Amino acid sequence: MRQRGYGKDTGLTIRMFFTSFLLLLLYCFFGLFLFSMGMPLEILLILGIVMVAFQFFASDKLVLASTRARVVSAEEEPKLHAMVERLSALADMPKPKKIAIMDTHVPNAFATGRSPKNAVIAVTRGLLSRLTEKELEAVLAHELSHIKNKDVMVLTWASLIVVISGFLMQMLFWMSIFGGFGGGGGRSGRGGGGQAMLVIFAVYIGTILVYFISQLLILTISRYREYAADRGGAILTGSPLTLASALTKISGDLARIPEKDLRTVEHANAFFIIPALSGKSIGNLLSSHPPVEKRIEKLRSMQADLEGPSKYTDG
Amino acid sequence: MGLYAFLFGRNKLKKPKREQFFSIIGAASAVEERENLSFSHYAGVVFSPVESLFFEELDKELRDLLKISSLSTNTKYKILDDSFGARWVSFEDKDFEDLVEFAHIINETFIDHGYGDRLIASVFGFIFQNKKAYWIYYSKRGKFYPLVFDNKEKRDHQLEFRLANIMTSENIEVEKSDRWYPLTGIPF
Repeated sequence: MRQRGYGKDTGLTIRMFFTSFLLLLLYCFFGLFLFSMGMPLEILLILGIVMVAFQFFASDKLVLASTRARVVSAEEEPKLHAMVERLSALADMPKPKKIAIMDTHVPNAFATGRSPKNAVIAVTRGLLSRLTEKELEAVLAHELSHIKNKDVMVLTWASLIVVISGFLMQMLFWMSIFGGFGGGGGRSGRGGGGQAMLVIFAVYIGTILVYFISQLLILTISRYREYAADRGGAILTGSPLTLASALTKISGDLARIPEKDLRTVEHANAFFIIPALSGKSIGNLLSSHPPVEKRIEKLRSMQADLEGPSKYTDG
Repeated sequence: MGLYAFLFGRNKLKKPKREQFFSIIGAASAVEERENLSFSHYAGVVFSPVESLFFEELDKELRDLLKISSLSTNTKYKILDDSFGARWVSFEDKDFEDLVEFAHIINETFIDHGYGDRLIASVFGFIFQNKKAYWIYYSKRGKFYPLVFDNKEKRDHQLEFRLANIMTSENIEVEKSDRWYPLTGIPF
């Protein structure tokens, strides 16, 4: 039987594995660190889980509200709905619950929601007007891949450490200002005020480090999942180059459109197909998305694999 | 969804299932028994093309194959692209079993070329209570589901559920209703 492939991206898998492993190590280190410093680990963990769970379960509503995207029915946007439906059928997943449109000229799109059934796909008016039918389909396929890959779930829960360390950081900051554990009732309060302060200071420094390293690792994972969604989207439409050309258009337009419009969508960047950053100050390392050139390069190599020499396998 | 796909975000397209495909033959007896149900004599296969030379090879072979098989069964067929990124092979034949056979040939050609995962559905046209109705074989899950449209091209869910009951009574496995994709733009 003749087999055709999209090529394997083993490099990406290895890097994803390595980063996840580092994150896991960091979780272990942070847990042990807090434990050895006599911090109330259970309380922090429960608090963190509650906060992340809220984010997780309200993700669709939070993002819809902050981007001011309007949910549109199949009667209003029959074509958009039909496209998403067709792609969902091909991907063997239920059609996302909501499809929304943002009234901005910035061409962009995002997907969010905790599960395929509760997912939202949103596109901007600019995207609808600037892309061709095929390119629009490619962008929708990319977003559907995010949903199918459960990226919101992975990234939200992986961020637990960021949430906990961020919370602890703030708490310790205010504590150090108001002087130690209030009333000295804490576990480490026994050795006198000076020692308690020292412990708090050590925890503070450690927590800051964990906070920034975990943030970097999560952003790295987010970039890898962006590549994965590009791949998944390209497989879905069967045309990597169409997605590449859509990405070029979106990123090119983002650079051209005046900043004022960009600001309106900037706070929800992590979810967009291409983040709308108005400055170049933020380096690649601190971005939730890989640079567009690299994404296009990967899509082009996928197309090359599609056209490459055929492989024959038995059976 | 496997652990690998979850951890690394690598979902592949599902291969088609084909075990239940021929249960549609049961439709023939259902139609004979019921006054409000008849064949429209149209059927079709919808798939998502790939931009690749290998797929073009398949496309060419499929067109040749259709030409030959349509001669022997006297089936009329058309190939057309819709505006949602899919391609349709639609065909017309008075004999229902020929329609099923034709759809089967197309499905198998895809699978033989390793492109089975691009198949979306095989669609069989009916007239149910004077309305346009379809039995859809959803390739990813290997089950059937009904679609009924009223005269304004809107879906009639009540009739769809009734049609689903008829299908079940003919021993046809019916897909869960959250997967009854409307397949906008059925060309017949």
